[in-house]
Amino acid sequence: MVDKEIQHDENEEEKLPDRPLECSECKKPVSYIYTEIIGEALTRTGMCADCPELQRRLHGTAQQTDRKFQGEKKTGLACGNCGTTLESLRVGLPIGCSVCYEVFDDVLISEMLTSEKIPPRITTSKKSIPIHIGRAPGESKEMNPSLRLLALNEALNETLKREDYEQAALLRDQIKALTENPEKNPDEGK
Amino acid sequence: MKANDNPQSTLSPKKPWSDNANPIWLASSVTLIRNIEKYKFPGKLDTDRKKQIISLVSKDLLGLGELFNPILVKGEDIGFLEKEFLVEHFLSTHNLNQAQAGEGFILDASGELLVTLNLRDHIHFQLIDCKGELENTWSRLVKIETNLGKTISYSFSPKFGFLTADPTQCGTGLVVQVYLQLPGLIHNGTIDDMIEKHLDESLMISGIQGSPTEIIGDVIVVQNNYTLGITEENIVSSLRNFTTKILMEESSARAKIFREDSSDFKDKVSRAFGILIHSYQIEAIEALNALSLLKLGAEAKWIKGIDNQQINELFFNCRRAHLLAQFKDKIEQEEITHKRSEYIHKILKDVTLLI
Repeated sequence: MVDKEIQHDENEEEKLPDRPLECSECKKPVSYIYTEIIGEALTRTGMCADCPELQRRLHGTAQQTDRKFQGEKKTGLACGNCGTTLESLRVGLPIGCSVCYEVFDDVLISEMLTSEKIPPRITTSKKSIPIHIGRAPGESKEMNPSLRLLALNEALNETLKREDYEQAALLRDQIKALTENPEKNPDEGK
Repeated sequence: MKANDNPQSTLSPKKPWSDNANPIWLASSVTLIRNIEKYKFPGKLDTDRKKQIISLVSKDLLGLGELFNPILVKGEDIGFLEKEFLVEHFLSTHNLNQAQAGEGFILDASGELLVTLNLRDHIHFQLIDCKGELENTWSRLVKIETNLGKTISYSFSPKFGFLTADPTQCGTGLVVQVYLQLPGLIHNGTIDDMIEKHLDESLMISGIQGSPTEIIGDVIVVQNNYTLGITEENIVSSLRNFTTKILMEESSARAKIFREDSSDFKDKVSRAFGILIHSYQIEAIEALNALSLLKLGAEAKWIKGIDNQQINELFFNCRRAHLLAQFKDKIEQEEITHKRSEYIHKILKDVTLLI
């Protein structure tokens, strides 16, 4: 309980958000589990080995300020709207606001490419070309009902290739149910 | 902090999986992530601003026709156990426990909708489905999202699409997850081959608690790997494709196990049954693993007295918050494993092993 209070004081001093940032947000592999027991509430947080938040919780001292200075020597990039730094972005902390997307534009794309979070074909994309495809705000879309049939047909071909007629028959039944009565959705899960 | 209030008081009694008899496809979850224009993302927002967002969103959302008797639940008003109940109910991979003042949830009577406010992003719209209706679930969610979008402007850039606090979710902001229970493929050792054969780089696999390596209860979670540079239709259809193939592989593996009357599998099922029936205390993970094999045994008719629906319900109900919700009295932390055993014994009292 005492721990918790100390944290709140710190947060105010450092002008961090009210709630400490959870390290489950970070994409590095979890090496520590931090367990906090307050009264009867038990919370577990997965943290990576070099997590600044873990240091802060364990030792009560934030090494963040040091880190920031080190980082600034090299990069110095920060969002003017919300104060998110390149450093914090690199550790995998959440982005602070929509302006960050303009500020860190190239960095974001290269980070996403290295973590394989955007389709590989994006690599060649020029700065001005939109990466996003699909709906914009206000647009609505209906799903093409034939997609489900296509998936079933593909699976059917697979079963026929390996002569698994039992499964093929089951898939044919599902296809039949969809094509004969497209309004009614057959019970799937089989 | 309220520690042991009954979680069900906040949630609708309706549980989408209570009539879920699916042998393989346990559930799916569709999430759309949105932030509101001009506001900083929740991580950089003070409590007052967060509260503004809650009132802004709930004012419009609570009036939408797509929602059935929706309610707003504020983060500070519910205890940790209720939050854990929500996590379990909605198969959430987020730590809802963080939700305090300035954060909130909107739920409705369908028991399928969860809108979380200000946890990492301003709005997470989420629907769960237990009928294998990926496309319809996505369409329903899009309706809710676009209707709210008529009064609220979302953060959007032509280049990055809808903007999210986690840059790897921007673009469509769409996360689709499919929960598949695969005891056949996992215990006959072919699961890795099957995944390699059918999975492409647009999808990824993890376990129910989000860990990529720990598979619990033989359930794998398939999720889209890209949200940017791909259309929502493509995301849904690649999940539909993969799922259809894995469903076929699993039922083919099961058919083979039953046809061969496999002694190895009979042994696994018998042992699992023994653990469930004879344990005095049992951890959730051990129980979930055993229940998956019990389900396989029931399908093989090696076990009688229980069906898929009852096993699926037990599967959901023996996790901690759902388990505690069954009891009126306060349960001490150290009693939970014993109470879980007792609860499982009660449900399985008429079940007999036939092999």
